[in-house]
Amino acid sequence: MRIRQAEHVFDAPWDLVVRAQFRKYPNEFNNAVEGVDVVERRVDKTGTLYSHRLLSTRWGLPGWATKIIGSNGLGYGSEHSEVNARTKTMEMKTRNLTFCNIITVDEKMTYRPHPEDKNKTVLHQESVVNVQGVPLSSYIEHYVIDNIATNAEKGKKAMVSVMEKIQKESLELQHGAQKTMEEAFQKLHFNERSPF
Amino acid sequence: MNSVGEECNELKRSYDECFNHWFANKFLNGDRNEPCPDLFAKYQSCVKKAIKDKDIELWELERNVLGTEHEKKPPK
Repeated sequence: MRIRQAEHVFDAPWDLVVRAQFRKYPNEFNNAVEGVDVVERRVDKTGTLYSHRLLSTRWGLPGWATKIIGSNGLGYGSEHSEVNARTKTMEMKTRNLTFCNIITVDEKMTYRPHPEDKNKTVLHQESVVNVQGVPLSSYIEHYVIDNIATNAEKGKKAMVSVMEKIQKESLELQHGAQKTMEEAFQKLHFNERSPF
Repeated sequence: MNSVGEECNELKRSYDECFNHWFANKFLNGDRNEPCPDLFAKYQSCVKKAIKDKDIELWELERNVLGTEHEKKPPK
């Protein structure tokens, strides 16, 4: 078994970060995720949003590992998340569904506002990899954990990119609304001046 | 982004757009209503069928395997 824990601070408020988390795929940094579907979703009495999503990914395992584990085809992952807007917490747990009789990769991510700066968000990420029942299991665990670390870096860049996209959309909406109002105002002004 | 079932792509796009809007403008401001119920019902029904068609054991496989009798073991 191998465990990896890491913390990262995003230079963005919690609201924007969690919006980006739901819109993370597709992104230019990670081509492995091919599909995302919402399987269940509900809001409970405390105002917590529960989501269960199915992720389809294509694992980039090298040839030697795929011969041991199986085919390098499509893999599936199950993601459960809880978001509470009042307490400003988001927790996301993901586990692979494919090959889980040989390997399990459990990841838990928690997003909270930075305790000292509400314009920043802290991500705590914990990954547990377990490989059993095949040769070189320890080696494969090591490889997968390294892979997770690399993907975590891509993931951060992806989040920043998605947040920028969201902010750009908001600006465009604002400009669009402003332009519409200006045009309406001009038309009104012109009509007032018109002798007819 | 695609759906696990190609036939669900359009439904997914409509639902995602509705959800993202609700999440940003309503949920984060305290709304506790179910988001986009009609769109979700159609989309969810399509996805569940696709999952079944592709034999993805989503709910059954959400159990612990390693350490139980389901763990793959080397032959004796």
